[in-house]
Amino acid sequence: MSLLKLEALSKKFGDHWALRDIEFSINPGEIVGLVGPNGAGKTTMFNLITGRHKPSSGRVLFADKDITHCKPHEIRRLGISRTFQSSRPFAKMSTLKNVVAGRIFSTDFDLFTRPSDIETAAQLLELVGIAHKAKLPAGELTLSEQRRLDLARALATQPRLLLLDEVAAGFSPVAVKQAVELVLRVRERGVTLFIIDHFLTLSLRVSDRLLALDRGEKVAEGSPQEVMRNREVIRAYLGMRRKDE
Amino acid sequence: MRKEAVISKGLRHVHLVQAALLLGFFLLLLLPVLTGYSDYILQVFTHALLLATLALAWNILGASGAISLGHAAFFGVGAYGSALLSHDLGFSPWFTIPLGGFLATTVALIVGFLCLRLRGAYFALATLAFVEIPKVITDNWDGLTRGSLGLVGLPGLPTLRLGSYSLDISGSPVGSYYFVLCYALVLVSVVTLIFRSNLGLALQAIREEEIAAQAVGIQVQRYRILSLLVSGFFTGIGGALYAHLIRYVEPGLVYGLHFSAVPMIFAICGGRFTILGPALAALILYPLDQFIFHPLAPAGHEFLYGAIIILTILFMPAGFWGHLRKGQLVSIKTGSIE
Repeated sequence: MSLLKLEALSKKFGDHWALRDIEFSINPGEIVGLVGPNGAGKTTMFNLITGRHKPSSGRVLFADKDITHCKPHEIRRLGISRTFQSSRPFAKMSTLKNVVAGRIFSTDFDLFTRPSDIETAAQLLELVGIAHKAKLPAGELTLSEQRRLDLARALATQPRLLLLDEVAAGFSPVAVKQAVELVLRVRERGVTLFIIDHFLTLSLRVSDRLLALDRGEKVAEGSPQEVMRNREVIRAYLGMRRKDE
Repeated sequence: MRKEAVISKGLRHVHLVQAALLLGFFLLLLLPVLTGYSDYILQVFTHALLLATLALAWNILGASGAISLGHAAFFGVGAYGSALLSHDLGFSPWFTIPLGGFLATTVALIVGFLCLRLRGAYFALATLAFVEIPKVITDNWDGLTRGSLGLVGLPGLPTLRLGSYSLDISGSPVGSYYFVLCYALVLVSVVTLIFRSNLGLALQAIREEEIAAQAVGIQVQRYRILSLLVSGFFTGIGGALYAHLIRYVEPGLVYGLHFSAVPMIFAICGGRFTILGPALAALILYPLDQFIFHPLAPAGHEFLYGAIIILTILFMPAGFWGHLRKGQLVSIKTGSIE
């Protein structure tokens, strides 16, 4: 059984197909990379899966349940979380409180934060390596620390499927190496990962499979080696498209 | 060594602020005695306390990041609702004041459906325009509301008796003062509960990064409307209290800009995202205006509010109480608090 299944998923903005007839599925426990040049439709796909945008046609199934028309918070409760391309911390909250917020609203509403929520949040900061920044306002973190915070906050919601949007973009080689380890550790916790990775810095090293998009259409899927050898993918990345297109 | 110095400085600062708060509280408690039961001083402080409750109520919506320029709609509906129910139907004000609050909540629900998809300045302008609707209705529905003449001779609040001691709430300035003080303390507790609980956390998340708030599972619209309803309710209660304290309502008065703008100015000046800031600003600025600026410039004394809002936005965007609290953050960073 697949954890996530996209059936003929399409999204049209005006006259422009942002995504067209995408068929794809992800199995539990997999790490899948989503690659493609700018404007390929990667973030649109995340927005459709998380309910921020509604598809023009097609369906999204999560653990065999049709979530196409669910609201973002309902999808979140079913177990899908995401991070953002440009991280979006609650800037004036402490780093720890950011993660606590992720934790609290993913379960039934309690009026007050329980000590166990704070403990869990602190452990997640430990996991992503920014525990020493727990009491700083999140807006004061560096870019890579904010990405880590984004990840910790998303993990705090206890997702089964985690969508990471450009989590390692602009990272130094050392930081990429740390990100690789981090992603693998997240998988060990039983989380399935779907990773947008334009420059392939992360996905080539951690992914079981890649899905390649170009201009809204699926051009390849398979093992990283297969996809990177695919002529269409090379064309899309190097900009050598056929003249008649 | 240096870190310790920072901590002790931070702590001293916190203690100083707490001591000042406590002192202020006792001054408020003893105000009638300290001022020799001066009617004028007590009336000014009673109105300051009422404005403090309006600023506190305004700030419940303010916590979601929204700025309302139309809270007079809730104030006026609360005032007229309670006034008509008690005056025409003869219900006790104890009963009609909460009803006024619920009427205001109903109006808040309408504002919510009409305006809450808007953000920022668009929401503010929509609320400013909305005030005109209940105002025009009240002004023109002569059969029900007596129109622009208003309503005089409303029932006041009764005399409370405890053994041999009695407190005439509407009839004596001391009674009115203590009654509004009690209500203000209740509202401070309510706001503290909201801000310190996960409701407050949700509102903070929404105002700081709405998309991320949605992503962690916060039902953004639900919390925004909830904060508007609660804010509208307490503003309506404030309006109803006002009606029974001065025992008279009139559309131009209770729907006036005064009750939209002044609570907002106090909330922004004191600190929009703080618990006590809005109330403190009301208790400092309104008496300042009445005792000092009004005698100096009877015609233009309200320029004070304009000047204050400009100075606050330029130099202390977090409000003065928010600014003082930032001092506390120093000690939070070094681990001496939390």
